[in-house]
Amino acid sequence: MVRVSLACAAVLALVVSCTPRDVPAQDSATPSSSTAKTFKPIDPTSAVCWDRNTLETAKLLDSIATEYNATQPPVPIKLEYLGNYGDIFRKVSLSIQARELPATAVGYEPMTSEYIVAGAALPLDDYIADPSAGLKADELADFYPSVLETNKFPQFENRMYSFPFCKSVLMMYYNKRVLREAGFDAPPQTWDEFLAQCRAIKSKTGKQAYAINVDCSTIEGFIYSMGGEVVNGSVSTFDQPNVLAAFKLFDTLVKEGLAYQAPPGTYDDREAFAHDRTAFFFRPSSHRPDAAALMAATPDDWGMTRIPQSDPNNPRTALYGPNICVFRTTDAHQKAAWGFIKHFTSPKVSVRWAIATGYLPIRKSAANDPDMQAFWEKWPQDRAAFDCLAFGKSQPNVVGWQQVRTLVERALTAVISGLKTPEQATADLKKEADKALAAG
Amino acid sequence: MSALVRFVDAGLEGLDIILDRFHRRQGVIGALLLSPSLIILGVFAFFPLLYAIYISLFDTRRGIYNGAGNYLRAFNEPEFWRSVKVTFYYAIGTVPLSLAISFTIAWLLFRIVFARSFFRTLYFLPYVTSAVASATVWRALLRPQSGLINLLLINIGIEPQKWLIEPRGVLNILTDGMIPPAIGPSLALCCIIAFDIWHASGFMIVVFLAGLSSIPKQLEEGARLDGASTWQVIRHVSLPLLSPTIFFLLIVSAIKSFQSFNSFYALVSAPGDDTQNLIVYIYAQFYQNQRIGYGAAVAVLMCAAIVLLTIVQWRFVGRKVHYE
Repeated sequence: MVRVSLACAAVLALVVSCTPRDVPAQDSATPSSSTAKTFKPIDPTSAVCWDRNTLETAKLLDSIATEYNATQPPVPIKLEYLGNYGDIFRKVSLSIQARELPATAVGYEPMTSEYIVAGAALPLDDYIADPSAGLKADELADFYPSVLETNKFPQFENRMYSFPFCKSVLMMYYNKRVLREAGFDAPPQTWDEFLAQCRAIKSKTGKQAYAINVDCSTIEGFIYSMGGEVVNGSVSTFDQPNVLAAFKLFDTLVKEGLAYQAPPGTYDDREAFAHDRTAFFFRPSSHRPDAAALMAATPDDWGMTRIPQSDPNNPRTALYGPNICVFRTTDAHQKAAWGFIKHFTSPKVSVRWAIATGYLPIRKSAANDPDMQAFWEKWPQDRAAFDCLAFGKSQPNVVGWQQVRTLVERALTAVISGLKTPEQATADLKKEADKALAAG
Repeated sequence: MSALVRFVDAGLEGLDIILDRFHRRQGVIGALLLSPSLIILGVFAFFPLLYAIYISLFDTRRGIYNGAGNYLRAFNEPEFWRSVKVTFYYAIGTVPLSLAISFTIAWLLFRIVFARSFFRTLYFLPYVTSAVASATVWRALLRPQSGLINLLLINIGIEPQKWLIEPRGVLNILTDGMIPPAIGPSLALCCIIAFDIWHASGFMIVVFLAGLSSIPKQLEEGARLDGASTWQVIRHVSLPLLSPTIFFLLIVSAIKSFQSFNSFYALVSAPGDDTQNLIVYIYAQFYQNQRIGYGAAVAVLMCAAIVLLTIVQWRFVGRKVHYE
């Protein structure tokens, strides 16, 4: 038995100690056309699209797909709803291992970068430039640059591996009743005003002003609005003063009892807001319908505005919302998927989608659409969010950011729990994030 | 008569030949009988294990052979070591406490006469309840702002706690900051430990009850006649005779403590550094970060650690077990 164990250990040691070398790989770090079409479509007869919408929005998306299918694409689009973005990412990743993929799936930038590394994502540049099936220059110019830029991946020849799908921006929701109790009739415009209002709310009402939802994109939004960045090329910038300022703000809020952490994965921040226990919460603009439902009894007692800024003349916020990625399957599936994306992002459909879901229309021309204008009259908050699209900034689309997101959230948790000072947390975060980004 | 004797002799001789052949074929028959379970084990246990070892040698995203790269990366990864620390805190917290609490409850249940079946069912109920469902209830109870536990604490004048989202060490909280917050398990981890003790003790209680039932009553009566106290009976009669049961539960619960996932995942939806054990870490590598080769390497390391731990337990604790 001992001999067998020793022999096994020796063989294992021999295998693992071999110098790493390339073997004939099915994938490469920068996929080229030579790696195209190596994945089987999960359904040969239809172009499956994995999405996260449910209930009414899923029905609407189905009807949009039905309209598109009426145009006789090479294969019809079939929508499948798989849970949240994380679930879709997991399923796509496993399907990559199984060499069998849907035609298209929604996801965030760091997810797409993982698909690119695995050789599964198809660059869309050729489709976009196609004279008949693509987008003309004026059509492309109708998209906000911020929503297009985030789909170009600098680590992969700046090619466009995904296309904007549903967009929203980080907004500040404010409870007018609580603000009035504290003597304010308008929400804060700058971070200094925000802190001052939080202190006043605490002293005058005894309430905590804000329930912190620890989420990487929200933290990024705070950093952007303070003039900071989170990445430069493929190196993180968590050692920058603006990043430290954002972490210090959270530290101050918690230490002075002005804010508390909402349990992750819950909507306790929204619930506390609706019950007048807090004055603010920060979530994407797509939460507006939920906030409206929570405040349905007193619809005039709340608002949604852009997040406070360090420099209100040069505003910035986080751009949220998934993009859509086409996978390397068959020509017919790819064409059908691209056709569906083009149809979905067309001005009329984009407006229809925005009105029904609370997402933002991603075309500039939507601002002139009568239906959209009528909707904004009813929901001026959505117009405020739409105006933020011009300066919204998406999360970095570099390989490894998916891991960095967790590190950022843990760093903030450490600060608001008093485990680390903002200086320690950002210094450690910088080290660990750079390591994760370097490992790719 | 002699013809009958010859007939019987011939019959017996024939039977001998058949039995002889049967014995020779016993190996084949044995293999045939074992084959269904061997196939199942091979497909669902041995193949995945060997395949995990195989893919642990690759950067699976790029399809590049990585040698010991993933293993070396694990040893140089602070997050890996933090997960190891959490796993050990969890194992140290759950295994001895579960055994002690389960034995105490089983001993009491063995002795009570009133509503015995009711109490036995009551204590077994958590074990048959879905871990995810009960974790959801625990999460609601432990909510910092609106949870029942904090409301009770506030009512009796105790400061409310952050429970499942508290990454500070429980020693730091208990000593009012005298011990650094990074020392010892976090309050959140202690909540997970408490949940798992509550959830898993039903199984241990049943096993202990079976063990206690098998101890001859005369031994306890004899000890009592000799003037032994209750504690002396437990110490010198019950526990030694229960040692095979305790040893079995120790091995099983130690292995399970390394493999615990449900409670971590269901109680803490976004595990932090203080609540991420090795299994959750492996899960994150597989399904959140897409580092499948690396995740497999960590899984292989964990498997090796479990095997090593079991051998150590077998060598050092197994010697003290009394098998009648």
